[in-house]
Amino acid sequence: MVVVTGASRGLGRAIAERCHSQGVEVHGLSRTGGDALFPIHACDVSSPDDVKKVAAALKALGKPLMGLVNAAGVASMNLALTTPPSVVRKIVDTNLLGTIFCCQAFAPLMIRGKKGSIINFSTIAVALGLKGESVYVASKAGIEGFSHAFAREMADFGVRVNCIAPGPIDTDLLKGITPVQIEKIVSRQVVQKKFGPEAVCDLVELLLDDRSASLSGQVVHVGGV
Amino acid sequence: MIELNASELKAKVFQSIHRLVEAKELVVKDATVLIGDGSVVDSMKLVELCLALEDIAAEHGFTFDWTSEAAMSRSRSMFRTAGALTEEFIRQARSTSWSS
Repeated sequence: MVVVTGASRGLGRAIAERCHSQGVEVHGLSRTGGDALFPIHACDVSSPDDVKKVAAALKALGKPLMGLVNAAGVASMNLALTTPPSVVRKIVDTNLLGTIFCCQAFAPLMIRGKKGSIINFSTIAVALGLKGESVYVASKAGIEGFSHAFAREMADFGVRVNCIAPGPIDTDLLKGITPVQIEKIVSRQVVQKKFGPEAVCDLVELLLDDRSASLSGQVVHVGGV
Repeated sequence: MIELNASELKAKVFQSIHRLVEAKELVVKDATVLIGDGSVVDSMKLVELCLALEDIAAEHGFTFDWTSEAAMSRSRSMFRTAGALTEEFIRQARSTSWSS
């Protein structure tokens, strides 16, 4: 069984569908719930009570949880000086706190099986320090730091924790970024190519697989940086 | 209403703690420290203890929530001693039985 947050659209949806196509039992989380080939539970990841309720429901299924993919995220392209406090809170609450709350709630299900893989999401914007994304970067840099330390906490229980940091991928999060800006970011990657959701899904598949058993506490940059 | 035997629950909590301590000659008491200076278990064992108590709670028909604010607050933490943990465990058991 694998849990994917942000499963109703974008990268979360693509990842959930990839896992499902591989025959994995997928449970998605999204604020609105929804219809898909797999169940999508209504859950606001920034609410620890919402997350606990879903975790309890999944625990009651009695099946081992092998993977957690924290793909739920929001962004706001704006200078820090002109970002309203409510937007700052929303970005940090959804991205950073949502990731932490989901790890807290779902990791115990993996600890019971002494095995599991948690994949959190960062962004190339952290490594590049992209102008106009400082608040978003703050939330994602927090995820990288948390994942690194949390990986050490989980290692003794056989659970691995890694981050994937995509560059520009065609999802709603790219709205408001011009093609010229996208090209500029891609030019700073090692592999100077604009990758799509499939590349991210490939990495998720690898990190969920036992063949990546030697990897934990790492940030994997799509395209390299 | 779920029948609860507080003594039985206390014994199970103490047994669960004893299973995890390294010094098997230790006698678990109410004042046995579980976090901070003098704790008889490390943080990893504390997590294992919480999972064990989840299972015991499930056997008795209630859910043990060890991630609440009270559980995590250092000053009021239910993990400060075996007695405090047992008290909170039984409190959660009773609050479920009263609402059944």
